[in-house]
Amino acid sequence: MIDPASVQASLELTLKDEIVRMYQEVANNPTGEFHFFHGRDAAQLFGYAPEWLDRAPASAVASFAGVGNPHERSNLQPGEAVLDLGSGAGLDAIIASWRVGATGRVVGIDLNPAMCLKAQAHATASGATMECQEGRMEEIPLPDASVDVVISNGVINLSFRKRRVVEEMFRVLRPGGRISITDIVSAKQLSQSIVNDPKLWAS
Amino acid sequence: MFRLLEETGFSRVRSAVVPRFRFRKESTQNSAEAYGVKAVMMTALKAVPA
Repeated sequence: MIDPASVQASLELTLKDEIVRMYQEVANNPTGEFHFFHGRDAAQLFGYAPEWLDRAPASAVASFAGVGNPHERSNLQPGEAVLDLGSGAGLDAIIASWRVGATGRVVGIDLNPAMCLKAQAHATASGATMECQEGRMEEIPLPDASVDVVISNGVINLSFRKRRVVEEMFRVLRPGGRISITDIVSAKQLSQSIVNDPKLWAS
Repeated sequence: MFRLLEETGFSRVRSAVVPRFRFRKESTQNSAEAYGVKAVMMTALKAVPA
């Protein structure tokens, strides 16, 4: 008898591998073609300030794979602690670091430890400060009530356990804290063939 | 997603469509439109307990 929980767990593992693979490919091959726009063109389309894109390392900009601009409504202030959920190559975390300044703190969480290293290197190269931890958004490796703001850009839609992700965001936020996220939503239930296809899900 | 935020305890949940989002591949964009897939910006607050 097939255990649905086992099937789900297996699919999640496969999906995790596909997500890591796909976004690593964006970082390694920024001129490649993907289902989504990426890089400077996408960032400009979503309203990222040209001066940010000029100041950030070119490879961080080229690896941008977001679906909007969470900074537009984040209202980040000097001294705030920010979590970037799914920090990737680090562009959003770098911008957040510039905005919260030396008295603030930016933590990135990413599935891929190699991307964490890349993001931290990008941050250092641009005069920003961020720490990146390998981890899952369903189990954020941060204490309760430890950040003021959670930002995220096109990441939560990749999870099979969105409720858990939202609960985790709530947990790590201090009372009075806020989220500013951009993500993909669907008005209709996706077909099982899409749900079961990690490549389509990760797109 | 909006419902999840409210059910979890977030307040002042606000959202707006990202107007210029679209998929790069036409076939993907067509499928996305069929399912009403779009990109949205969302903000929400974790209230301070009274």
